[in-house]
Amino acid sequence: MNENIFTTVCPGCSIACGMYVREKDDGTIDIDWRKDAVVNAGKLCRFGVRLSANLKNATSKVDGNEVEFSDAVTAAGKAIGDGAAFVSVGNTTCEEHLALMKLAESKGAVVNTGMGAFASIPAECHPTMGVGVPLDAIESAKKIVLFIDPYEQYPLLVRRILAAKKNGATVTAVGWKAVSLADENKTIDPANYGSELALDSDSVIIAEINPSTDPDRVMVLLNLAKATGAAIMFMKPFVNAVGCDLASKKTEQKSLDQIIAEINDGKIKTLVCLDSDLIEIMPDETAVREALGKLDNLIVITSRASAIADVAKIVVATEPFYRKAGTVVNAEGRVLVGSGDGTDGIDAVGTLIGQPADLFTELNSAVLATLGIDVVDERVVPAYEKPEYGAMDANPTAEAVETALVYAGGPFFWNGIVDDNDFVEMNLDMVTANSLLKGIPVKLTSDKGEVVIKYKVSDVAPGVVLSNAKLPMTTGMVTSVTVSR
Amino acid sequence: MDIGDCYVGWATDEDIRTRGASGGLVTAMLAAALEKGLVEAVVVLKKLGEFEAVPIVTSDPEEVKAAAGSMHSVPIVLSRYLEYGTKVALPAKPCDARATIEQAKRQQVDIDTTYIVGLNCGGTMHPAVTRKMLETVYKLDPEEIAGEEIDKGKLIFETKDGEEHAIKIDELEEEGYGRRESCQYCEINIPVMADLACGNWGVIGDLAGKGTFVEINTEKGIKILQNAIDAGAVEITPADDKGKAIRAKVDGAMMKVAAAADEKYLAPIEGSHLDYYMNALADCINCGACKAVCPVCACGEGAKCTEFSSASDTYKMSLFHLVRFVHLMDSCIGCGQCTDVCPVDISLTHIYQRFARPMQEEFEYKPGMDMTTPPFFGVDLLEEGQ
Repeated sequence: MNENIFTTVCPGCSIACGMYVREKDDGTIDIDWRKDAVVNAGKLCRFGVRLSANLKNATSKVDGNEVEFSDAVTAAGKAIGDGAAFVSVGNTTCEEHLALMKLAESKGAVVNTGMGAFASIPAECHPTMGVGVPLDAIESAKKIVLFIDPYEQYPLLVRRILAAKKNGATVTAVGWKAVSLADENKTIDPANYGSELALDSDSVIIAEINPSTDPDRVMVLLNLAKATGAAIMFMKPFVNAVGCDLASKKTEQKSLDQIIAEINDGKIKTLVCLDSDLIEIMPDETAVREALGKLDNLIVITSRASAIADVAKIVVATEPFYRKAGTVVNAEGRVLVGSGDGTDGIDAVGTLIGQPADLFTELNSAVLATLGIDVVDERVVPAYEKPEYGAMDANPTAEAVETALVYAGGPFFWNGIVDDNDFVEMNLDMVTANSLLKGIPVKLTSDKGEVVIKYKVSDVAPGVVLSNAKLPMTTGMVTSVTVSR
Repeated sequence: MDIGDCYVGWATDEDIRTRGASGGLVTAMLAAALEKGLVEAVVVLKKLGEFEAVPIVTSDPEEVKAAAGSMHSVPIVLSRYLEYGTKVALPAKPCDARATIEQAKRQQVDIDTTYIVGLNCGGTMHPAVTRKMLETVYKLDPEEIAGEEIDKGKLIFETKDGEEHAIKIDELEEEGYGRRESCQYCEINIPVMADLACGNWGVIGDLAGKGTFVEINTEKGIKILQNAIDAGAVEITPADDKGKAIRAKVDGAMMKVAAAADEKYLAPIEGSHLDYYMNALADCINCGACKAVCPVCACGEGAKCTEFSSASDTYKMSLFHLVRFVHLMDSCIGCGQCTDVCPVDISLTHIYQRFARPMQEEFEYKPGMDMTTPPFFGVDLLEEGQ
C-alpha cells in the first residue's frame, strides 16, 4: 500500500510536538515518532499517540447536504456580508489565520482569537502573555511554580520539569489537585503569592491562558513575574495560539463570551469560525448551541469533523492540519513548519476576497516578516525577554464555591474528545461525606441538570470535583454542584 | 553456495559502492531484489537529515539506492512497517530481525516471503542525545556533521570540512552519551537469526572498507544473494579464515562489553522491589506509546493490558504496565523503542528486561532467534501432574 509521509506537529496544544503522519492511499492515517524533533525528541502524549483514532476529516456541506468544496466556498461568499464576526482561536497555520484576517478586513471586521485575557489586559503585556521561555530553560530553572497540572494539561512539560528537578530545581504546584512531581503542593490566596512563593530571577512560573481564563488572574501572575524577576510562560490549549496572536496583534479582540452575548443580543447574525469549535471550547455547551441556533449564517471553515460542523449552515472542509502548508509558532516562540503543501483553506478565502491565486506565497512572506525571520529554522528559539510593563490592579474573582465541578482542561477536553477521560476526581473526604460506593458512579447535579459518571479518588482540593471531560450540566469552567450516590 | 558459507561482497555499481557502507553490498542486493521481482517492496530508511530518517516501504529501486549508508543516530525498528502478504525485503539490525521473527510467530509477517538482510550492529544512538553530545563533548555544531562511523571502539564524526573527530565510546558512555542504554547491554551483534548476516567485521587486506562480510544463514539468504549476483549487481569472493576469526573476535569483544553493561544497568534491585517499580512508574501519563511502538506486540485495541486498566484506576501501579511486564517476558527483545518514545523518560526497556531476562534464562529461550515458540507454552500441565 502506498503512503505519503508528512512531517508535522501535533495539533493537541501549544507545545507543538514534532511527529510524522503516514497517510495511506485509502485515506487512513497512522502517526509515527519523529525522534529528531527538537521540541519533544519524538515523544508524544496520549493525544498525539491516538491522533489517528480521533482525527476525523470534515466534509463540505451547505444546509446539511454534502457539496463540492467549490460550491461550499461559493455559498460562503454569498453568506458572508458586512457585519459578520470572525473567530480563529489558533488551531491552524499563521497563513490561514492571516487569510481570514484579510477576509475580515474586507468586511470591516477583525478576526477574534477569543482569548478574553488579551482583550482585557494592556497591550504592553501581550508579548509576555504570548511567548514564553524556551523549553530548555525550564530544565535549568532553580525554582518552578506550576499553576497548571502538567500531567493532565501539558504532558510533554513533565519531562522538562523532571529534568529540572534532576538539576536541583524545587517545584511548587498551586492548583486544584496535588501534582506528584511537585516538592510542595499549595493552595494560596492570590494576594499572598509574592510572600509565599519566594520567587527570584532563577525561577520560572508556568500557567495557562485559555478562552475562559479570568484576566485578573493573569494580571496577578504578570505582576508576580514583574515584581520577582521570575520568567513566566503561559501555555495555550491551541497549537498555534501564539502564532495567531502574533498575527492578530493591534486589533480589538472580543472574548468568546462577548461573541456569544452579541449573538444573543442580535448584533451578530453571521459568524465565521476557522478551525474553532465553540461548542467544544466553551464550557456551557447548551448555551453555545442555543446562541449558534440564533444565527442567520454559521460558516465553519474546518480541517476536521467536529460538533460545530454538524450545526453549521455552511461547512468549508479544508485539508487536515498535517497536510497544510504554512507556519506554526509554539509556546516558546519557536517557528515550525511541516512538509504539507495544502492550501485549501487559503484558496477558499482567496476566492472570497477575489485573490484566488498565489495568496499563500504572499501570506507566508507577511508571516515571516511579522516574525522577523527570513527562513524557518526549527532549531532557533527566541531568547526570553524579561517583562516590560507596569504593575496592574488585579482582583481575581473567587473561584471556590461550596462544592464545585472544575474543568481541568487538557488536549482531549479542548478538542471535545472522550478518550480515557470519562470520569471525575474528588478526594476521599468528599467520597465519605456523600457515602459514595466503590465502583458505583457518582451523581452530580447542577442548576442545569445532572450527570452520572465514574469517579476516582485523588488528592484534589476540598470541595472540588475535577473533570477532564466535558459534561452537559456545566455553566462555566467552575460550576456549583451537589454530589450524591 | 550453501548455508554457513561466508563471503566478502560489493556492489558492481560505482555509485552504490561509494555511497553505501562497506562497498554497498546490502544496498545493491535490496535494489536487485526489487528490480528482478524477487520482492515487491523493500523497507528502508529515507534520509531526511544527518540525524533523521523515516522508514518507507518502497517498490522503487532508486529510493533503495538513495537510502544507502549507515545511520547510527536513527534508532528505529523496521519490522513495524512490514505488511502480511507482501513479498518484502528489509535491512535488519539484530533487533529488526528478531522483531520480524516474533511478528511472524504472531501471523503479522509471513516469514516465507520476508527476506531479512541482517546487519551487524554495535548499537544505535538517540538523535537528541547525539546532538547534545556533539555540542557539549565534541564541541561541534551538529549541522556541520557530514557523516559518522564506529571504528575500533571510537565514535567518529566527519565534519563538512573533511576533518574527523573521534572519541572513545567508553568515555562517551561514562558521561551518559553514546549508545542507548539497551544497546549497551545487548549481546547480539551479528544477526545470526537473519537470512544473511552482513557487516564490515572480518573484511581485511585490500578489501577493508570496500567490501561487506556476508554469512549465509538460510535458503532465502542464498536466494537473495544469488539473485543479486545473477543480476550483475554484486560480486563476491570467499571470506578467508583469518577474516572469519577476526569477525568472531570482534563479536566476542562486543559481547564482553555488553556483559559489563548488563552488570552495571541490570544489577539486582536493592530494597523493596515494589517501591522500585512504583517509583520508576510514578510519572506515567497513560499515553500508551510504549505499547503502540513495541515491535513484538501484536495485540490490538482490545489487549489485556488496555482492557484491564483505566486512567480512572487508583492502583499504586498501573495494571497496564503490570500486564505488559508479564505479557512480554517471553518476547521482549530489549530493542529500546519503548524507552525512546516514553514522554516522561521512564527507562521502560530496562524494566521489561528485568522481568524478561530471568525467565528467558530459566527456559534457555531467546525470543526472535528462530521460529520456535516459547517452551513454556509447550508444557502440558496435565501430563506434568500439575
